[in-house]
Parts: sequence; C-alpha cells; structure tokens
Amino acid sequence: MALPRRRRYRGAMSATLEPAALPERGFNRFVAALSLRGALLAMVLASLAAVLLNPIFVTPFPVLLGRMLVIALLLLLVFTAAGFWSVGWLPRWLVQVLAVVLTAPLATYLVYLPAVQGQVFEVLRHEGRLSGFVLITGTVLVVAPLLALGALYRERDAQARSQALGFALERSQLEKQALDARLKLLHAQIEPHFLFNTLANVQVLVESGSPQASAVLKSLIAYLRAAMPRLADEHATLGDELALVRAYLDLMTMRMPDRLQYEIDVPDDLRGLRFPGMALLTLVENAIRHGIDPAEQGGRVEVQARRNGDGTLTLRVADTGAGLRESAPPGTGLANLRERLVMFYGAAARLEIAENAPRGVLVCMHCPGAIST
Amino acid sequence: MTTPTALIADDEPLLRERLCTLLQRCWPELEVVAQARNGREAVELFDQHAPQVVFLDVHMPGLNGIEAARSLARRAQLVFVTAFEQYAVQAFEQGAIDYLVKPVEEERLADTVQRLRQQLIRPVPAAPIALEAVLDGLSAELKRRAGAPAGHLQWIKASVGQSVRLIPVEQIAYLRADEKYTLVVWEGGEALIRKTIRELADELDPSRFVQTHRSVIVNLHEVLQVTRGANETAEVQLKGRRELLPVSRSYLHLFRQM
Repeated sequence: MALPRRRRYRGAMSATLEPAALPERGFNRFVAALSLRGALLAMVLASLAAVLLNPIFVTPFPVLLGRMLVIALLLLLVFTAAGFWSVGWLPRWLVQVLAVVLTAPLATYLVYLPAVQGQVFEVLRHEGRLSGFVLITGTVLVVAPLLALGALYRERDAQARSQALGFALERSQLEKQALDARLKLLHAQIEPHFLFNTLANVQVLVESGSPQASAVLKSLIAYLRAAMPRLADEHATLGDELALVRAYLDLMTMRMPDRLQYEIDVPDDLRGLRFPGMALLTLVENAIRHGIDPAEQGGRVEVQARRNGDGTLTLRVADTGAGLRESAPPGTGLANLRERLVMFYGAAARLEIAENAPRGVLVCMHCPGAIST
Repeated sequence: MTTPTALIADDEPLLRERLCTLLQRCWPELEVVAQARNGREAVELFDQHAPQVVFLDVHMPGLNGIEAARSLARRAQLVFVTAFEQYAVQAFEQGAIDYLVKPVEEERLADTVQRLRQQLIRPVPAAPIALEAVLDGLSAELKRRAGAPAGHLQWIKASVGQSVRLIPVEQIAYLRADEKYTLVVWEGGEALIRKTIRELADELDPSRFVQTHRSVIVNLHEVLQVTRGANETAEVQLKGRRELLPVSRSYLHLFRQM
C-alpha cells in the first residue's frame, strides 16, 4: 500500500525541487524521511482549512480544496527537505520553520498561476484573486509553523525514546559483560611453560631425595587445584586466596631462589573476608611474569592488605622488578580482573597501577564493602 | 685427544645442576667449565672459557637463549633447552638444530651426547645459513610474544599526588593541550603530563584515539554523540561526562559517517 504512494510523492517532488541537484544518497534519505502519516496529516489540515475558508471565497469548493491540498503537500516537501539542508549558524528547527514560512506565499502564488494561464502579473491585478492570495497565505502562515513545531516536538520525543532504548541496551550489555567475565575465568589456564619448568624442578628435588620435595609438591597441588578451570567460588575468603598466593610464591622461590624474595603482610582479622578468587593471584603472577622474571637481578614481591578507616579494604602488590614500559601490552588479565572487581564489590572498586620506588610496579586494589563470611 | 668442555646456561639453578648431573652420567669425560644464569653471562663466560658445547635455555632474563646463540654464532656446538616453547621446538626441528625439552630425559640426552661426540671428532658443517635464519626468526618471534613491538602507547605515566600512575589508555576519555603540558582525563580523575598533544597523537592507536581539534584528542569508544555547531564545526559529548569538546572544521570529516 505504502509503496505506490511514495512513488507519487517522488513524482510531485521532481516538478519542484530538481532531484538531480541532490546527491543520490541524500535523495534516498529524503524519500525515506517522508512519512505517510505526515502526508495524511497535511492533507486533512488542508481540507479543514478549505472548508473554513469556503464561505468567504467565490471560487467553487473543489478548486479551493485542490489548491489547499497542493499547497499543503508542497510545504511538507519543503519542510522535509529543509531538515537535510544544514546552515552552519542556524539551528535545524529554525531552518525548517523559516523554509515553510518563506515558501507559503510562493506556493499560494504558484497555485494561482494555472487560473491566469501563467500570466505572472495577472494574479495581483484581479482583486478577488489578490484577496484570495492574502487569505490563503495568512491561513497557511498561521497553521504551517504551528504544525512544523508540532512535528519537531514529536521528533524530539522520539529521540528521547531512542535514548531510553539506548540506556536499556547499555544495561543489557553490562549484564553480558558480567557473564563474559565469569566465562573467562572458566577459561583461565595454567601456563604450560610454568607447569613444565616447575615439574622439572620438582623432579630434581625428588631424585636427589631432598626433604624439600614434599613441601614443594604440596604447593604445586594447591596451586593447580585453585588454577583449574572452574566457576568462581562464592565462599572464597581472603585467607584462601593468600594460601594460594603463598603456594605460588613458594614454587617460584624454589625455581629462582637467588632472584626472588617475598613477603606477605596481612592482619589475621582480615583473612575471613569474602574475596573474589584468583584476584590477588592474578596480580602476583603479573608481578613475577612482567617484573621479576625479565629482570636479571630479580627482585622482591610484597603483598599487603589493610582495612581503611572507612571500613574499605586495600590490597597492595608491589615488586622491584623490571617495571612497565609505556608500550607494554595491557594484557587481558588486568581488564578481566577490573570487571570482576566491579561485579564483586560494585562500581566503586578500583585497580590502580603505579610505578614503585625505586623501581618496579605497585598495584593497589581498593575494595569497598568488604564483607565477612 | 683433549677433554671436551661445555657451558650450561639456565636461570633456574636446580635445572642447571640437574643437567650437570645427567651429563656426568651420559658423558663422564665432559667437563662443564662454567654455568651461566642468563644470556649475558653465557656470552661473557663463553668468551672466557671457549667451551666446545653450549647448552642454552631459551627463556632467560635479559638476553634470552636465542639472542645469546646469535652472538656465539658458529663458534661452538649449540644445544637448546626449552620448557614448552612449541614454536621454538618446531623451528629447531626444521633447522636440524639440537634441542632438549624440560624436564630433560636421560635417554634423550644420551642421543644428543652421541651426536655431539661425533661432531667433535669429525665435524660435519651444518648449513650455516639455515642456523642463522632460524635464530633470526625465533628471536623475532620471542620479541613478538614478549610484547607489542614498537606498538602504540598502551600506558600513560602521569604524576598523581606522590606517585607515578600508569594509566591504561583504554580508560582515557580525552586529552587536552594545556600550554606545554597535556591534561589526561580518565576514569580515575585528571592528571597533567609533559608530553604534547602532537607527540601523543603520533603515539596513540589511531583506530581508537582521534584528534578532533588542535588541542584535543578523543577516545572514540567514549563518544556519546556529536552535535553539529556553527561554521562547519561540531561538539563531542562523551559518555557519562558533561563537558563538550570542540571538533574543528578540518577534523569534522571524521564524524561524517557517524
């Protein structure tokens, strides 16, 4: 139904606007912007105006109605076209209303032309036509801008609605991100390089009958159990996480005894706090991988937790290793961790990365609303 | 016949010792003349002792095993030791270069020792181009894996209070020139840095950061909307921020499609 009508508008326009002057893409957008509802509304109002003006006019009603309809459709086309025509220093709505106001007398003049067989000045010489011209122009000048403003108001309303839809979309995207973060944790993998190197070390200890072997194996088992792909443990505590961090650091100290020292400084009363599993381990692994391991002289890793005056928890992982270059890859680990912290502690959770003095990296994790289990 | 000599380079002391012990069993007459903890030490100790065989761990701090091997060139028999560098194993196999996989198995080491012995008695010159080409390729690969080479800026160092913060670039909303300095506005606040807008425009990833004005760089991922203004200019509004940033005439084309 809508298609043939649209084609008709296109025909009407070609007579007035010279579509060849418009770029093809702009033309298509223009046609798309013409709505059936707009056209119907314009025609209904034009008919109403014709009925109201009829008693004053000598012209037969059908002619008057025809003229009003032609004027209304012309103005609709101009209004729509003006929406695409950007004048830098004028707001778009003003351009549209001005276009309608300026076109109104011209359109009225145009519809009178057929009556005078195209004699341009004839319109103004005949008193009846002149008063008709003034009356119609007047009516159009009152009705059209009001209508244009109404249309613009509706358009703004639609924009507000689309913005509301945008917010809803954003919210659902956030939910998706939360789900993604959980899935990524499931995919967290033990690095084969780490595993085989550690096993090679354990083998030495076992073969040489070292009393250390058993303790090291225990650490390896604790680390592997925690690092196995699984869903986040809802009941994990900071104490659990610290046991895991210690197991990992013990393994690394066995592997590079001359290059790694570490210290864990966490008050006992904080160990019962609920904690997102693997969060601290990710930071400690980063400190080893990007800080200590690349440094010939190695360095020191310090893990610290403090309860702040306002009840929030701050965790710090500091290393004195190689430091971070500005072009170092950001790594997905930190981005994932940031997402998980926000999921666990809310939007106020923060992860801050800074240079450590005299060298290395210092990462601070601010956890608001830390809850005891 | 002189006593064969060897150098072992590995950053993990237990693994150096283990290789030593295994070699004593498989090749009793071999003398391990030096042990190095990293690539740099390996090269230094090689120059001091000129051993005939060098066992090089691929992954070492500072200078890695591949880089060290490149500077030893063909002055010794090279054997690489690797934990799980699958790409390295492939490259060694293609280049017919001797390698061992950690944890080192005694039988596998015995094969290697067999080959090395023959080489020392009756050297068969390996295709020299092949060795260097493989090492060059591996070296590039290792660098690639260690981090984006000469890539775009990923972090911005900025003084915040007493500390030097490292700000991930994806958290930056926009950057604005402030005389000789640049104001960095990110999720966590604002900071002034010494770099100029011009330098930053060159260093940041152009697919994410665009300069919209002589003095402004915007993170495209943070753009909420662009509003046309007077005189072929526009204003950018960012997500969750009230301030409007200018888009000047010469940068307006960036937003034509948006």
